[in-house]
Amino acid sequence: MTDLLVIMAGVLFNFILYLAFGSLILYKKGSETSMPVRIVTGFFCYYSVFFVFCLPVMKFYRPLSMLTSIWTAVVVIVIALSLFLDHKVFIGDIKRIIEKLTNEPVFFVIFLILLIFQIVVTALTYNFTLDAAYYVAGVSTNIDTNMINVYDPFTGAWQDHFEMRYFFATYPVQDAVVCQLTGISPLIWTKSVMSMTIIILINLIYYLIVNKLFCDDSKAKIISLAMILFINLTFNTIYTSSTFLFTRTYEGKTIAGNIAILFIFYMFIAINDGSEPGRSRLILFLTCLGASTVSSTANMLIPVEMTVLFIPLIIRKRLYKMIPGYLLCILPGIILALAFVLYVKGYFVFYTYPR
Amino acid sequence: MQSLNVFEKGIGYLEAVLSYYSGSCSYLMLYILCLAYIILKVDKRDKEIFGFGGLFLLLTVYNPVAPLIMDKIFDVNSEYYRFFWVAPVIILVPYVLTGLIVSAKSSKKRLYITGMVILILILSGDFIYRDGIKLAENIYKMPSELIEVSEKIHEDSKKEYTRVFLEYEYNMQMRQYDPKILLTIDREDYLYAVTNDYSDEMLNDESNLQYRIIAALIKYKDIPVEDFKEAMEATHTEYVVLDKANLFNGYVKEAGLCEIGSTKNHTIYRYPLKEPENFELVDYSVVY
Repeated sequence: MTDLLVIMAGVLFNFILYLAFGSLILYKKGSETSMPVRIVTGFFCYYSVFFVFCLPVMKFYRPLSMLTSIWTAVVVIVIALSLFLDHKVFIGDIKRIIEKLTNEPVFFVIFLILLIFQIVVTALTYNFTLDAAYYVAGVSTNIDTNMINVYDPFTGAWQDHFEMRYFFATYPVQDAVVCQLTGISPLIWTKSVMSMTIIILINLIYYLIVNKLFCDDSKAKIISLAMILFINLTFNTIYTSSTFLFTRTYEGKTIAGNIAILFIFYMFIAINDGSEPGRSRLILFLTCLGASTVSSTANMLIPVEMTVLFIPLIIRKRLYKMIPGYLLCILPGIILALAFVLYVKGYFVFYTYPR
Repeated sequence: MQSLNVFEKGIGYLEAVLSYYSGSCSYLMLYILCLAYIILKVDKRDKEIFGFGGLFLLLTVYNPVAPLIMDKIFDVNSEYYRFFWVAPVIILVPYVLTGLIVSAKSSKKRLYITGMVILILILSGDFIYRDGIKLAENIYKMPSELIEVSEKIHEDSKKEYTRVFLEYEYNMQMRQYDPKILLTIDREDYLYAVTNDYSDEMLNDESNLQYRIIAALIKYKDIPVEDFKEAMEATHTEYVVLDKANLFNGYVKEAGLCEIGSTKNHTIYRYPLKEPENFELVDYSVVY
């Protein structure tokens, strides 16, 4: 029972954090962005800011506890600032939620049933995956050694240099920070709290997309959401993003392949329709940067998706002013991918001890 | 997709990736059909949202030549399949099929189309839980026996960190639960062992003596007991955990390992190391 409460509190706290980061970064007097967009943007903003603080601490082999202290201070400041600046927006959010629930009660009840089904399934199932031997063991190892990525998660051996394949993907380090701060077991945090968080986030994005595609047609929206769930449950080979979503929910590449890809797609629809939220370029940039800090898989996927979606759009609608924004969005992925190539080719290495 | 190689497969690489990626599912085919429908349809907005991007994908990333070019810059061999995640299959297919259902003019027609759609979806996929849902045994989502194994090793060992040899599944899971247990075999060695055999040259490799342990206890190769013991000493392996069904339970006893405990399906052995390892974390306090 206590574990269940801890998990629920963890999920709730995650969403408060994302909402705080998203609301703060998208704060603009007189214009409001919808709450789901602020939450998803907040998620990517959270990991982007974390990346900035994590990298120097890790690179100069300072202890995890130092990062935990710094990050706790950052989070407290962001929440306080967000409460100060956005409290009226949050009150407005509650009113809008009540209004939406009253306007489309059947839709939201069915949506909630579909969501709860997915949460329960991911929360209760046992999945054996090879990559958890790195990602989850990495979290456990970082906490145990109070260092960041210095010891090999697979065996526990000390490494004389950082493995660059994972160096810039700091998402699991954030898990370690939270676990160190709260004392929650890495297994409970990654496999339950983060899994549920990811499932809710992806459903928020599905909700945003079907709203854009079907506008006010509740029946069409619900049929569509049910079909999305059905396809996710049946598009089953070990390689699809759907299988990743249900069996490796907490992994960075699942976030890149589901949340980042589809949120960019949502933004593309909105920009195409001319109904984009305020600061859409900032939202896109944070999504692209955040995705790269979550998983190195995003370094190749995001530039490709941005190109495939936005180049035809820019040409078609003659939105040439978007070109610098587009270039800025693909830059993080390209830079991090090139850094990895240079590392593999032996041009540089980051040692874990002064030489 | 570790076995696929752009250089070897050449222009046929993408087709091979596609075959692995789709398996018995037809959703990518459905996506192509829906894309064709959107392109042929009059609706301008649908074409803008799905059509142009879809065509651009087909001409670029899903072009059989693309992997050959990309492979010159990045090693895409085992991960090219992830580019298929970019196609919005999960959005376009439900969008088109829902559109067909809701646009039906009579309720009879709608019922008929709904039935067809359900049939198409059922035939296109492969249910992820077709063999039933395997429920987690505990809040950690780890086998309860693995937790028991960890506890028994720590009860027996007087050291904070202990090096252990585990079979495949536990080897991948143990350090997620218990980072105080160090492993003799790393993931890559195990992945190699699953699909490959060990040559005499590898078994005589003095710098990788762990090959002998894995060759004996996992591949059931006939490794002389003295060579096995030499590998145990060199790798500082103090504990071995074997499934009770493992054919080499007798072999490890012959090598001098003694049973210190067991769980329902596993036996835990301790090896009396001549020079026990004293593993300590690196002291970084002296750096600053």
